[in-house]
Amino acid sequence: MELMAKIAFVVYTLLVLGGGCFAVGAHSLVRAMVGLITSLLGVAGMYMLMAAPFMAFMQILIYVGAVCILIFFAIMLSRADSHGVESGSRRPGKALLSALAFISPVFVIGWVVVNYQPESIRIPLEVPLEVIGKGLLDNYALAFELISVVLLAAMAGAVLLAFEKKGRGAE
Amino acid sequence: MSQIPVELVKILIALVAVAAFVGLNGLVLVYLERKVAGHIQRRPGPFEVGPHGLLQPLADAVKLIGKQLFTPKNADGFLFWLAPILSFMPVLLLFLPLPFGPKLTGMNLNLGLLLILAFSGLNVLATCLAGWGSNNKYGILGAARAVSQSVAYEIPLLLSVLAIAFQTGSLNLSEVVAGQGSWPWQWNFMVQPLAFIIFFVSALGETNRAPFDLAEAESELTAGFHTEYSGMGFGMFFLAEYANMIVVCSVAVALFLGGWNGPFFDGAWWFLAKVYVLLLVMIWLRWTFPRVRFDQLLNLNWKWLMPLALLNLLITAFVTKLS
Repeated sequence: MELMAKIAFVVYTLLVLGGGCFAVGAHSLVRAMVGLITSLLGVAGMYMLMAAPFMAFMQILIYVGAVCILIFFAIMLSRADSHGVESGSRRPGKALLSALAFISPVFVIGWVVVNYQPESIRIPLEVPLEVIGKGLLDNYALAFELISVVLLAAMAGAVLLAFEKKGRGAE
Repeated sequence: MSQIPVELVKILIALVAVAAFVGLNGLVLVYLERKVAGHIQRRPGPFEVGPHGLLQPLADAVKLIGKQLFTPKNADGFLFWLAPILSFMPVLLLFLPLPFGPKLTGMNLNLGLLLILAFSGLNVLATCLAGWGSNNKYGILGAARAVSQSVAYEIPLLLSVLAIAFQTGSLNLSEVVAGQGSWPWQWNFMVQPLAFIIFFVSALGETNRAPFDLAEAESELTAGFHTEYSGMGFGMFFLAEYANMIVVCSVAVALFLGGWNGPFFDGAWWFLAKVYVLLLVMIWLRWTFPRVRFDQLLNLNWKWLMPLALLNLLITAFVTKLS
């Protein structure tokens, strides 16, 4: 059982990292989106490993099923160059700097996690859906409401931006 | 050590059984669709291959398998071939939590309904990638339509399913079925008629079935997102469409029509019979109604289905709280 879990962990890690690399290195925006989706699916698998199937399915439902579709929508509507603005030749110095910017936080986080392991149970426990629901409206109600307010503000802002553009176009 | 492989083997067996089921049903449904279409249009339908054209779908399948696979020039080959695989593979997963009979379930999951909703979203993605990857104006138009259509129709679908989840307090399809009685008036359909209608209409929209098949409207877009596909590339989309039809009908049967419960003898046959009645209704609708215009399609969703579904959900929540 532990062996299976380890194999699954390696597979999901490969999905997350491989998807990320594919997204960064892709020459077309839609291909980059496919990389992002692969990565998100890997994250969903990680949730499965942590015995949180609800989170895993929500991850797929919301991020893969909705957010990525909207990204695709945006790519089509914006009539952007399908190859992206920055797909031209890159200077090697820039690539090195970006690699450094990625590796340094990974190194710091990795070092902290390895040396100061947080206490946790060995085998993940599945939390029933009722408990998650009660927690969201009970203990974590403030955080839940705050996130809702942020989302509402974002939505209102998006509508406002769209209206402004429409008005300018009519002038 | 020996516990997980047993589970794994079970899932593998279930997947193989599902694949066989999907293939067989694909053949039956193709025959049914062409026959029903023929009779609705006052012609006999396929008649030449085998008695009453019974072997026609087999001949079609052999033709599709034998055809050359062709990648168009300037198409994005990777996305182009990823799309049919991505459209077909998740469909097999969707069958796992479906309760075909009292004991006949691939995987009895607590969150079975959620699994189906989550993985059915991948089909839209496959449609988009197919349209985009084939580098064809009809393909891109089809993909654009598919995106706006599925984003719109997913919301009332989810809301109508949630109404049942509120009422039964469970996302486990087997439990929802077990909570309904043997006779038609004990089924959820009697309590939630509005949710059932909304679910069925949005399911038609989600599976790209006529009158909502705007993503592949033949008269305007040749074949929409799968214009450029030949042979089994097209075959995979085709099979996935029929498999998706079976899945939405099965979910409708499990949620609203009592699943495997039926008068006198409960069992898988009732489930299959009900699923096939719904499938026949879908085929009937396809050959009866003309395709809607795109603005009609979106208006129907945003102005009618969505407010009604929201209202239905609110009332359901209120009544559930009271009782």
